Amino acid sequence: MRSEQETARAIELHADTVRRLCLIHLKNQADSEDVFQNVFLKYALSSAVFENEEHEKAWFIRVTINACRDLLRSFFRSRTVPLDDLIDLPAQAPPDTREVLDAVLALPEKYRDPVYLHYYEGYTAPDIGRILHKNANTVYSLLARAKKLLRESLGGDGDA
Amino acid sequence: MHDRLHNAFSALRAEEDLKSKTLDAVARRAGRQRARRRRMRALACAAACLLLVLGLGGGLFFTPVSAISLDINPSVMLTVNRFDRVIGIEGYNDGGRELARSTPVLFADYSQALTALLASAAVQDCLERGEALSIFVACDDEQRSQEILANVESCAGGGRNVHCQSGGWAEGSAAREAGLSCGKYRAFLELQALDPDATPEDVQGLTMREIREKIAALSGEPAPTPGQGHGKGHGAHHGGQGCS
Repeated sequence: MRSEQETARAIELHADTVRRLCLIHLKNQADSEDVFQNVFLKYALSSAVFENEEHEKAWFIRVTINACRDLLRSFFRSRTVPLDDLIDLPAQAPPDTREVLDAVLALPEKYRDPVYLHYYEGYTAPDIGRILHKNANTVYSLLARAKKLLRESLGGDGDA
Repeated sequence: MHDRLHNAFSALRAEEDLKSKTLDAVARRAGRQRARRRRMRALACAAACLLLVLGLGGGLFFTPVSAISLDINPSVMLTVNRFDRVIGIEGYNDGGRELARSTPVLFADYSQALTALLASAAVQDCLERGEALSIFVACDDEQRSQEILANVESCAGGGRNVHCQSGGWAEGSAAREAGLSCGKYRAFLELQALDPDATPEDVQGLTMREIREKIAALSGEPAPTPGQGHGKGHGAHHGGQGCS
């Protein structure tokens, strides 16, 4: 078990990453906050030892994705998602940001994690493969297909 | 597209309010979890202690510290724990096995068990026929041995044909190995001293009176009068004390 100070440090360091992953998987605000809290509770109760911050960050990514998937798979949730509590994307965000995020959220779920991990976190396909427990070639394929879909919806010059 | 994606994701941030709410919730829930784990640990310790106590208690309860053998024609032996409770009864001949089966004495106080056995029809019939009753106490603790012997004598009532003796626990074990009750085993040793060819099987089917008669015949002495003790227990005071 970890101290409150350790948990506070982890929240400061990884809250944005966890939040983004929650947002690209869950469309419900309450679910998103539940998973957010559960991930840090799991961290507080975990005795896992991390070699460095990158290792710790990979743990948070893995745990958050698993928590989101577990929630999405759960029997009750699949039948009880309230429609009046949908997540609002940042209201003051520029129109382009909203358009891009909408395009990412419109992607099939299997593409969203590789897109986020590659384009924002800067992980390579083999790194993503290790985190998501997928073959690197599979990740390359997912990224290529996601890029094609995003290009179709957003247009652009294909510089990614 | 790379920059557009990066900028879009950058706009997504964890709200300060969510972070502080999470820290509070985690502290609260982690505290509850810690308390639950502490309770579980305490419970596990208590359970382990209970098991240990039950194990030790059970071990003590089922460890025999003395044996009382009763030989007349039925031949039975009681094993007794440190709490004076009968934890085993074994018949050494058909009559003994029948007596053990028909007299429920397991876990009873040994005095009550002995009284029940002596009051049984099988033993009473033998006593009425003038058979010799031999009661032997095997115990290594001399003080306990004396106490049991005194109780046994009191239970037996000091009839003319009653012999009460005591000896060591090793003698009881040797008797069990020979397939004889303690009283009969001691008589067998006396017989074997006079007749080295004698075997436990030779005396197994004999009554105590018949064994005594054999011993008397071999030693050239007159047959012992009923009520005379033959014990060679540990210590002058301890052994060979007749009841009558």
